[in-house]
Amino acid sequence: MTKEQRLKKRHAAEKRFRLYGVTSILVALVFVLILVNNIFSKGSSAFMKTVINVEVFFDPELIEIENGEPEENIREADFYDITIETLLKAYPAKNLDEENELIDLFTTDAEIEIKKAFLENNNLIGKKINLEITASDDIDQLHKGNYPRNLPEDRRRISNFQLKIYDNLLQNNKINKNFNNYFFNNGDSRDPELAGIGGALVGSFYSIIICLLLAFPVAVLASIYLEEFAPKNKITDFIEININNLAAVPSIVYGLLALQILLATIQLPRSTPLVAGITLALMTLPRIIIPCRASLKAVPPSIREGALAVGASKFQSVFHHVVPLSLPGTLSGTIIGLAQALGETAPLILIGMVAFVVDIPSTPIDPSSSLPVQVYLWSESAERGFVEKTSATIMMLLSFLIVMNFIAVYLRQKFEKRWN
Amino acid sequence: MSEVKIKSNNLNVFYGDKQALFDVNLDLNEKEVTALIGPSGCGKSTFIRCINRMNDVIDICKVTGNIEIDGVEINDENLDVVSLRERVGMVFQKPNPFPKSIYDNISYGPKIHGKGETKSELDEIVERSLKKAALWEEVKDRLDEPGTGLSGGQQQRLCIARAISVNPEVILMDEPCSALDPIATAKIEELIDELKKTYTIVIVTHSMAQAVRVSQKTGFFHLGKLIEVGKTEKIFKNPDNKMTQDYITGRFG
Repeated sequence: MTKEQRLKKRHAAEKRFRLYGVTSILVALVFVLILVNNIFSKGSSAFMKTVINVEVFFDPELIEIENGEPEENIREADFYDITIETLLKAYPAKNLDEENELIDLFTTDAEIEIKKAFLENNNLIGKKINLEITASDDIDQLHKGNYPRNLPEDRRRISNFQLKIYDNLLQNNKINKNFNNYFFNNGDSRDPELAGIGGALVGSFYSIIICLLLAFPVAVLASIYLEEFAPKNKITDFIEININNLAAVPSIVYGLLALQILLATIQLPRSTPLVAGITLALMTLPRIIIPCRASLKAVPPSIREGALAVGASKFQSVFHHVVPLSLPGTLSGTIIGLAQALGETAPLILIGMVAFVVDIPSTPIDPSSSLPVQVYLWSESAERGFVEKTSATIMMLLSFLIVMNFIAVYLRQKFEKRWN
Repeated sequence: MSEVKIKSNNLNVFYGDKQALFDVNLDLNEKEVTALIGPSGCGKSTFIRCINRMNDVIDICKVTGNIEIDGVEINDENLDVVSLRERVGMVFQKPNPFPKSIYDNISYGPKIHGKGETKSELDEIVERSLKKAALWEEVKDRLDEPGTGLSGGQQQRLCIARAISVNPEVILMDEPCSALDPIATAKIEELIDELKKTYTIVIVTHSMAQAVRVSQKTGFFHLGKLIEVGKTEKIFKNPDNKMTQDYITGRFG
């Protein structure tokens, strides 16, 4: 082979390699785009809800309270009759069946919404106001275009009569889209239009905080001891191998462990963020120890020697110099570990967080859900409305993960550059 | 002839199974510069690291034999290495300032030893140390800036100032100029000349010329053994040992 041929071959090899690299990146990007596109196209509509504009007349004959009543009386009062009257006025119905179909166009919480409007201004007896009542899930999906209306009637959840009402309301500009406050404020519900991730958000928040409080100090102290103080011998080698093994243990195993020890033996309350936090802490511990040790190892030995040489004790050299320098890596490792814990589903299902919880937990020992488990729960539901809710929850989860990873990268870059 | 400050007696050092020093008997004089020369891996760095017990950091390292400073045995398990290192400072091959401000680099030692109680005491120590290390004029206006932002030569002088800051009796220098250019080297050598009035200095070097320039006494190591030791003049002009002769004339090493 001549010199030119060899040179050509070398260049060709490099070109080929570059091509492979670019192709792999493109393939990866395409998959990410498909995922993001799929989630966004399905989920973004969940942030809006369909509302129907109705006229509410607070008829003194249909309600027992008067203007200016104290709040608790209003809360206890029965708004059922007023609600039915209001909803029936939306469209003329000829018989009881039609009336029921008409009422089904509205959320089952219509009464609560009317009561809420009255609570904001308890001076409405005898007056008429315009109010936007949340539509039922079927109308919501129809309005968002997720509902096939050209199916035969017996295969549709919406009857022809209901479609007629919908078209009529639409023509009269009575149907609008509003920001879906229920999605963020409510707990889970059987009715998709009322279901929200409020409970799951709070549950995830408590779980992660407990996980952080337990895992971070233990992981950091363990790493510092192992990396800086422990003698290097067979025992510490064995511990190191096992920490690496633990990081690779499938998370469901931690769930089983928690089920046996925390729930069956210690009898902590099940389905609670407390148990979830402890379980996630167990799981996250090795995942924090590993980056933490790596960042301690990355501190140049010359810094330790410099400190020792001026007469610092081992403890002083570690805590005055090595640990502060390793902090960015430690923190970013911790945040990434927590982000993994935030997205963890399997162990939480085993400890009973998969339960249907309507109330938003007020303490970490209340039954609760969490974001990934909520995704799992809703993805199994039959109603169309839960499809967009599932994707929207994934969007929320992903945005938390992205924010956390961003903070991790930011911390690392900002504080590592500081002195260079 | 000045008094003996440090005395080593049958010093042996092992790294695991490998023996790095063999029965080294070497006396270092007070307020004098002793240069240790020899090819790489001959044990000269290992030797000076015994004087401030830096080898303790290495798990597999074992030291036998005696080292005395002012007649006190330091190779003793009960000896507090912290107070030993307060008396025996060290400057390393590669400048290793802490990634902190220049001021904090110098004040760290005095602070942990309780030598500067107040801010003004610390200020004074910082100024004195930097002046002794011939760095004060260059950095006096930017003491808050990171020590790692200085040039290599300045960083090394900062490390010398850091070693001086705790007011040691001995300063160990492990090839302090190997990472520096000739001008920075010249400055450090000048500084060493000045420092020997106050401190006992041991310097490991690969440069014969540097050994001649800065030291009064020279020890030649080879394969873990101290081959020859004597007045620098004698070692470089008229060594007793053939191996020393070969090394200083550049025939091996």
